[in-house]
Amino acid sequence: MLDAFLAGAHQVFAFDTLIYMLIGSVAGIVAAAIPGFTVTMAIILTLPLTFTMDPLQGVSVMLSVYVGGYTGGLISAALLGIPGTPSSVATTFDAFPMARGGEPGRALSLGVWASFFGTVISTIILIVAAPPLALIAVKLGPWEYFSLIVFALTIVASLVGNSLMRGLIAGVIGLGLATIGPDPMMGRPRLTFESDILMPGLPFLIVLIGIFAISQLMGEVEDHGKNDNKGALIPDVIEFKTWAVMREVLMHPVNLVRSSLIGVFIGALPGAGGSIANLLAYDQAKRSSKTPEKFGKGNPDGVIASEAGNSATAGGGLIPMIALGIPGSAVDAILMAALMVHGISVGPRLIMDHADLAYGMFVAMIVASLMMLVVCVLSMRLFLRVTDIPKQFIVPTVMICCVIGAFALNNRVSDLYLLGAIGLVGYGLKSLDYPLAPLVLGVILGPIAETNLRRALMSDGDWTVFFTRPISAVLLAAALLSVIFSVRSVLKMRRKDRPATDEQDGD
Amino acid sequence: MTNGSEKSAAAGALAPAASRARTEFARLISYVVFGLGSVYLSMRAGELPTSRWEPLGAGSFPQLVFAVLAGLCLIAAIRAVIDIRKAGQLVGLAEGLCSWIKVRRISFALFGLLVVYLGVLPVAGFSLATFIFLLITQLMIAGISKKTIIQSVIAALIFSVGLNLLFAEVFNVFLPRGVLFAG
Repeated sequence: MLDAFLAGAHQVFAFDTLIYMLIGSVAGIVAAAIPGFTVTMAIILTLPLTFTMDPLQGVSVMLSVYVGGYTGGLISAALLGIPGTPSSVATTFDAFPMARGGEPGRALSLGVWASFFGTVISTIILIVAAPPLALIAVKLGPWEYFSLIVFALTIVASLVGNSLMRGLIAGVIGLGLATIGPDPMMGRPRLTFESDILMPGLPFLIVLIGIFAISQLMGEVEDHGKNDNKGALIPDVIEFKTWAVMREVLMHPVNLVRSSLIGVFIGALPGAGGSIANLLAYDQAKRSSKTPEKFGKGNPDGVIASEAGNSATAGGGLIPMIALGIPGSAVDAILMAALMVHGISVGPRLIMDHADLAYGMFVAMIVASLMMLVVCVLSMRLFLRVTDIPKQFIVPTVMICCVIGAFALNNRVSDLYLLGAIGLVGYGLKSLDYPLAPLVLGVILGPIAETNLRRALMSDGDWTVFFTRPISAVLLAAALLSVIFSVRSVLKMRRKDRPATDEQDGD
Repeated sequence: MTNGSEKSAAAGALAPAASRARTEFARLISYVVFGLGSVYLSMRAGELPTSRWEPLGAGSFPQLVFAVLAGLCLIAAIRAVIDIRKAGQLVGLAEGLCSWIKVRRISFALFGLLVVYLGVLPVAGFSLATFIFLLITQLMIAGISKKTIIQSVIAALIFSVGLNLLFAEVFNVFLPRGVLFAG
């Protein structure tokens, strides 16, 4: 084991590999910072460039894009309120208010350090506990998957802004949007109204960009005359307080480790990645906090939970990939494809046949996270130049980047029309105070939920199996508890408000 | 005098209530639209043929989802009606709508320009359409002056022609060329 570890480390620490990884890290951060450019897109763009490299060198570069990308999403989430990637949706909840509250540097530093520690923790777990965790993940059948998604959707209830009901409606609208297009099992077109635009379904990325980015950009120029004094979106002076924030992050060890563990576990589940992990980690941090009312208003715990959670999925996702040959996410699937191009089959025999490669990937993860940290700490000011640019430049330009991102996904002009329509709907919903995160979560989870529900009922038509399989039953019970908890807190808040209202009425 | 101040105090207390009622009314309309839309979509999904290979066909899941959405919208609409009645009279709807649109006039203008841009993009090509879109939107937001015109032209050139070149040469992503430049 040690020989393989050292052989892998030797390859990763080669000078040219380190240079390529550094470029990959910067590219990942920059790509994910642009709303509409996901980590997946950045990795896809990197893939052809790695064909000429050695397998481990190529995978190391892609891992550095991967790790950098999970952090890059933080920049636009914190500074613009637009999640650069789906995995930074929960980061907007607290990092954006913190940045708007005059502490953009702190918000970014918190996210960077949380990402770094999240990745390191997940890599340690990947090295130590890969086999048993992968065994748990592979035991989950469609019943457990469906129950897991029900649980994830009920979490929406506790994440929503001002109204439980509007949050639920938004979540179900998301599920409904996901049903448009070919059905995930048989490919039969549904609710397409014979329209060529709707025939391929609503691509998730288009919905994400439209709902979050377009509506946010339209909101930025609202009440234009009155907001002129704001000028740039962020104050001129930004203090990062890098080392003080590092200490601050380490002062929240329970939140950090819990969020990282959630990220590792979710990352190890095939199909479930950073997009779910950041919301779950955020939710758990809020629930276990003594001051949950501070969440959503710039609470550091919220930023730490979300960023540690999403970054930890990078290590978690590699667990089933390395141990079983099952990619944990789309990005892992591309990593697998990169190895297969070099004639290496990924599966249980990977560690036995190519131990240096497997352990080299572990080393590359650590190096990539260190590189991300160094790049962010040294050049965050450079990335922040974007915030010095006045609104008249940033709003239309980001809009163009969104259009390019939407177009580059499938090279389809019709996707752009969808983008415009969804953007308008998103803006309308935002104006009426509908929370947008549940809608996006609904669109991500819809096809997974449907596929697993139908698969479960295909293998056994009995609905009670969902309650008799232990893991499924636990997840459903957790979902029920989640709803009860949310309803109880809403009732509590109403009771608190009532005396004041009654007094007013009495007067 | 006392009468006057009492009247203005009463009007001040009524204003937030009326505003709340107007907001709830706008939400009520959204619940009705989503509710009716989901009933229709649920019925359309129900028309899809069932599968002979599995208990749930292609239409079952969307039918279930839209039925749940219709139920949620119904509950939300009932609560909105109760809230509107609690808040008091629903007055000043037209003025409320006017001021709502006035506040968002730049947002809507930006969206209108985006729609035109997306419509023109396949014909005019990325570089030309983007240059014009960026120039107009930047001047619309910043206002027209000698300085903003120069800045906007430079920025529009960089992010139209420059981005097109970057994506074509570096990332091999070819943005729409348009019929004007296709030949």
